[in-house]
Amino acid sequence: MENSVGKSINFIKTSEKAQHQATYHHKIGHKHGEGSAIDYYAYASKIRHWNPGFKVAFSFTTLLLCIGLNNPFVSIAVILGMAFLTVVKGGLPLSAYLSVLLIPLTFILLGTIAIGVDFSRQPLGQFNLYLGLGYIFTSVDKLQEMAVLMLKVFGAISAMIMMTLSTPSAEIIGVLRKAHVPKLVIELMNLIYRYIFILLDVFNNMRNSADSRQGYCDFKTSCTTFGSVASNLLVVSLKKSNAYYTAMEARGYDGDLVFLEEEKPFQISHLFIAAGFLFFLLLLWYVTK
Amino acid sequence: MKEPILKVNNLHYSYGTGNPALKGVSINIYQGEKIAVIGSNGSGKSTFFLNANGVLTADHGEISYQGTVINKKNLKELRKNIGIVFQDADNQIIASTVMAEVGFGPMNLKLPREEVIRRVDEALTYMNILDFKDRPPHYLSGGEKKRVTIADIIAMKSEVIIFDEPTAALDPLNAQMLEEVLVKLGAEGKTMLISTHDVDFAYRWAERAIVFNQGKIIADGTPLEIFQNREVLKQANLKRPAMLDVYEMLVEKKMVKNTNDYPTSPAELKILLEK
Repeated sequence: MENSVGKSINFIKTSEKAQHQATYHHKIGHKHGEGSAIDYYAYASKIRHWNPGFKVAFSFTTLLLCIGLNNPFVSIAVILGMAFLTVVKGGLPLSAYLSVLLIPLTFILLGTIAIGVDFSRQPLGQFNLYLGLGYIFTSVDKLQEMAVLMLKVFGAISAMIMMTLSTPSAEIIGVLRKAHVPKLVIELMNLIYRYIFILLDVFNNMRNSADSRQGYCDFKTSCTTFGSVASNLLVVSLKKSNAYYTAMEARGYDGDLVFLEEEKPFQISHLFIAAGFLFFLLLLWYVTK
Repeated sequence: MKEPILKVNNLHYSYGTGNPALKGVSINIYQGEKIAVIGSNGSGKSTFFLNANGVLTADHGEISYQGTVINKKNLKELRKNIGIVFQDADNQIIASTVMAEVGFGPMNLKLPREEVIRRVDEALTYMNILDFKDRPPHYLSGGEKKRVTIADIIAMKSEVIIFDEPTAALDPLNAQMLEEVLVKLGAEGKTMLISTHDVDFAYRWAERAIVFNQGKIIADGTPLEIFQNREVLKQANLKRPAMLDVYEMLVEKKMVKNTNDYPTSPAELKILLEK
């Protein structure tokens, strides 16, 4: 029994884990298993006990406002507001937050550069650069447009990330169920979520065992090994799904996958603060438009 | 004679490939019995369990629960009253939080929400894992997962609990925890069937042992009778429990008196030696 107590303390000490990362893993970068890190952060978030419906609705409205109002000041306010919620209220270390944001940020940069910059045979625009075959050119207007777009997308994404970093997937699925998303989709989401981790586990074991037998010694071998591991994974997952179904039936499953969900009380004060924030965004838009 | 809680009569079952897995299994199980089901891999133990729970439907033969023959209509009653704790916890845990997982069975029994919550809390407290309530299963250790799977069945309040090789893949501390839970459940009068390869455990814990071999029950009796029957042990490829060997050696060397008071654990042997 003692070991379980130790474990639960470990689990709570995310900040310690982040500290370790900050000390021994200096760069803001990625290691393997970043995907499940997001899941882990959601469970460790200090605002996890907030009503999930509220969090989903709030981040979604913020996202809509951020895109709909199309105003750089609103975007900045959203970015700052969401960072405040996730880092200060949620207790996620800043480095971890930036590390999570780095993935979409890369895409945003790559995507918006394509909008800001254009190619031509002739020297056009306010700024151009001769590259032998032709020119790449841009203008202040274009650059401004690019910056505004970048802020807008970044704001929208940080609203969504606030939700994912504070609400475990099971709760988000619960909210979707209450929003009358078709039952089949909900059941699939639940099963897929659980299954991802099992498959990852199995895959890791297979990969490690292949690795220990020099299965990844050079490129060609790696490709063959990857193929075998993938096909083996398919066979294993088919077997597992069978075992799963058996276990479900043994506990009286009869076609309806219903899970017990925890009801998290809705706090009126949150509603007021959220309404205040949204109103502030509207006001900001009105003043600066 | 008491009425058996579970009565299995001439059960035959074969998987899709045509290989018969059970070839005429008959057994009566009585309320509150602690039964060890032993036998080598592929001898039909797991198939028997799945038949007993109604997940697999026998090709031939019948199962009655408390005197009622089970058919398609009252299958649900059988599943409610006979719970299986599967060998691999990862094949049993389906929900993405411990609470939802333990609530899965009671929810399928269509109990009201308050009752489900009450049972979940009760089962988690019983297994000493109430702290894990809203944790996802993929952040639990092997022993913790095992506890969750046992809580699954406790929350269903099954009369008969089947454990499929529960001690496999557990460390000694967790195995001991499991044994404590088994003793506790036994004290509450639950009927338990446990399949195991750990003969020492079977000898120590069980009141009755059933030996499976190639789809048939080849022996049924007290663990002492079974483990003294060399023919059965040879046929089923079983080892003798260490305590039995030790005791017989001590008797042979006249170091203890042969009282037929067989010790099943080192602690019991100590008491015997100190007499």
